[in-house]
Amino acid sequence: MTVNIHHPAPSKHTAKAKNFRTSVERDLADEELRENFRGAMKFLSERRKSAFPDELELQTLREQCRLIKQRCLLKLPYLLEQLEDNLTRNGIQVHWAETTEEANSIIQRIISKREATRVVKGKSMVSEETELNAYLEKFGIECLEADMGEYIVQLAKEEPSHIIVPAIHKNKYQVADLFAKNIPGFEHTTDVDKLINEGRRVLRDKFKHADVGITGVNFAVAETGTLCLVENEGNGQMCTAVPNVHIAMTGIEKVVEWLDDVPPLLSLLTRSATGQAITTYFNMITKPRQPGEKDGPEEVHLVLLDNGRSQAFADEELRQTLQCIRCGACMNHCPVYKRIGGHAYGTVYPGPIGKIISPHMLGLDATKDLPTASSLCGACGEVCPVKIPIPKLLLRLRQESVKVAGPEETVMGGEGANRKTTEALIWQGWSAMHRHPALYRASMWLATRLHKFMPAKIGPWTSVRSAPHIAPKTLHELVAQRKNTRAKP
Amino acid sequence: MSTIHSERSGARGRILEKLKAQVAGADYGKLPAEPSYAYPPMSRDAALARFTECLQANHAEVIEVSAETIPLAIERELVKRNISKLICGQKGKFSGSLESYFSRSDSEGIELVKYDFPLSDNKSRLFDEAPASFTHSRCSIAATGTIVLWPSEDEPRTLSLVPPLHFVLVDTHKMVSDFATLLKSEHWGAELPANVLLISGPSKTADIQQTLAYGAHGPKELVVLLLNNNTDKE
Repeated sequence: MTVNIHHPAPSKHTAKAKNFRTSVERDLADEELRENFRGAMKFLSERRKSAFPDELELQTLREQCRLIKQRCLLKLPYLLEQLEDNLTRNGIQVHWAETTEEANSIIQRIISKREATRVVKGKSMVSEETELNAYLEKFGIECLEADMGEYIVQLAKEEPSHIIVPAIHKNKYQVADLFAKNIPGFEHTTDVDKLINEGRRVLRDKFKHADVGITGVNFAVAETGTLCLVENEGNGQMCTAVPNVHIAMTGIEKVVEWLDDVPPLLSLLTRSATGQAITTYFNMITKPRQPGEKDGPEEVHLVLLDNGRSQAFADEELRQTLQCIRCGACMNHCPVYKRIGGHAYGTVYPGPIGKIISPHMLGLDATKDLPTASSLCGACGEVCPVKIPIPKLLLRLRQESVKVAGPEETVMGGEGANRKTTEALIWQGWSAMHRHPALYRASMWLATRLHKFMPAKIGPWTSVRSAPHIAPKTLHELVAQRKNTRAKP
Repeated sequence: MSTIHSERSGARGRILEKLKAQVAGADYGKLPAEPSYAYPPMSRDAALARFTECLQANHAEVIEVSAETIPLAIERELVKRNISKLICGQKGKFSGSLESYFSRSDSEGIELVKYDFPLSDNKSRLFDEAPASFTHSRCSIAATGTIVLWPSEDEPRTLSLVPPLHFVLVDTHKMVSDFATLLKSEHWGAELPANVLLISGPSKTADIQQTLAYGAHGPKELVVLLLNNNTDKE
């Protein structure tokens, strides 16, 4: 069984995820950051709401898309083979990577073989997973982010704080200051149109000279061997049409069986993400440049990445994590994400979906705090377009994190990492007490008699609350007392 | 190359093996029925209205034309913007009429350029010397205000993308209600061209403080020429 357990090499994200509690304190204290997130989350959740005026349509689509994704997951290995066959027939080269290191190495070798050094990249969260930019840099390859939000984040030497809107943590004043510091000849302005135009000017020149374009994939269609890209800016289309080489990278869970599976998923994706009926561009790539064509890449590659996904796949309940279509609605509606922002999580995928997918990518030992960072209010599960039961999966991961770890891991890497002896003993006592009435009454009697000794400070609980008071008598005693008084005339 | 291949096949085999072991007992004959929402049918007028409304909401300009007035409408828009150059494909249905219109002696001095060069050796011609482009379209989708392009050797992928102003001709007789209907009616599952592009407005972004800005990387302006009363039905 241990064959499915994913043991990743330690990364920047492992270290950051371990630091969760400190990062939360840091970001909660940043008023500007909190204001930026408050505004953005309100905007995005209202946009989503207005995109679904018909409740029956929304619920039918959600059920349809849940079943589509579950069907495609149930057939996943066979669909991946079919996808590979069809892509190969179409002239697109397929590569497989179990780890982030393997994926990076495959991509670097494709680029180096062409003696290329200038790479532009459209938005791809999988490339964040593999820390591709830093890897390519070591080989003297410049990999420039071309999505406006990603470009801003790259200039600031930060990471995306949201999977759809990467620079959501920054306001226009911060972006203007960043441009002033990094772009020679930039005339300081806080006018958003002018800022975008400046980004356009810089990036157009990069598109024009790029040797290789890298993108993610939103849907990979097995039936036809087609890679689909959803975007508004046109940077994805630039990356896939201008350079001579296009490398797409994606997690293995993005494959769908039929072309007919795409329209409902696309509709739910864009409406859930930004409230758009459709994005400006929907790009379907089936073949490299054909004879006679004047543009488009000569070479197209697809890199399929596992990175812990097959570990999640092995457990039927946890497999639902892989239904995700990366719309970001769960974070937009999460009261925790809204307050702490995307960076505090320390993982590539923040928010509710990040809390359930990151433990598979980084191990539960590095991410043990994440499943507990939820009030279990249920908003994420309610807005999820493919009905992933996120609150239920959070509970499951909490259980995995405190269970008694055997000599070999059975479900996931790092299981049992959050188990504390004292806590385990308290719960065992609690359980025994509730199974034995005499023990229960005795304990209650003792607790009520000792109520005056209840400490006023009990750890983090009393940092913002006052300690609870224990009643001087138990409920049983009070009821008995009342009966006695009534019996006496 | 050989190292890439061996590593590749190793990872491939291990991933597939792990996945297959988990679904070994799956009964693919007993999958639950997938519901789908029945959208009410749209009349032609309603479809046209919805299409126009969506595109305008997405900041595109929609102009009604007839087969004869296409060049005139383009000329008017170009003059309005002080643009004197237009790039288009070579063999499209209306490329000929653009060519004869813009080469007439009393024209407004608009130069018509053909995209007849390979991009990789001529990037400046598209990036720096083409302020406006014209493409035909394959069909359109009413529900989302979407125009469907099948780029080809005649109208390359970047023709609709790089020039800051894009004119696109939409024949309303080839409009379908929604994307799902289009895939079914045209049997796209059977065979797809190298690239298909769905466009629903000019390029845009809201990446800075949720403020919409147009012309992020693609066209800043999209002008849709709506060919409504096309008598020339093939």
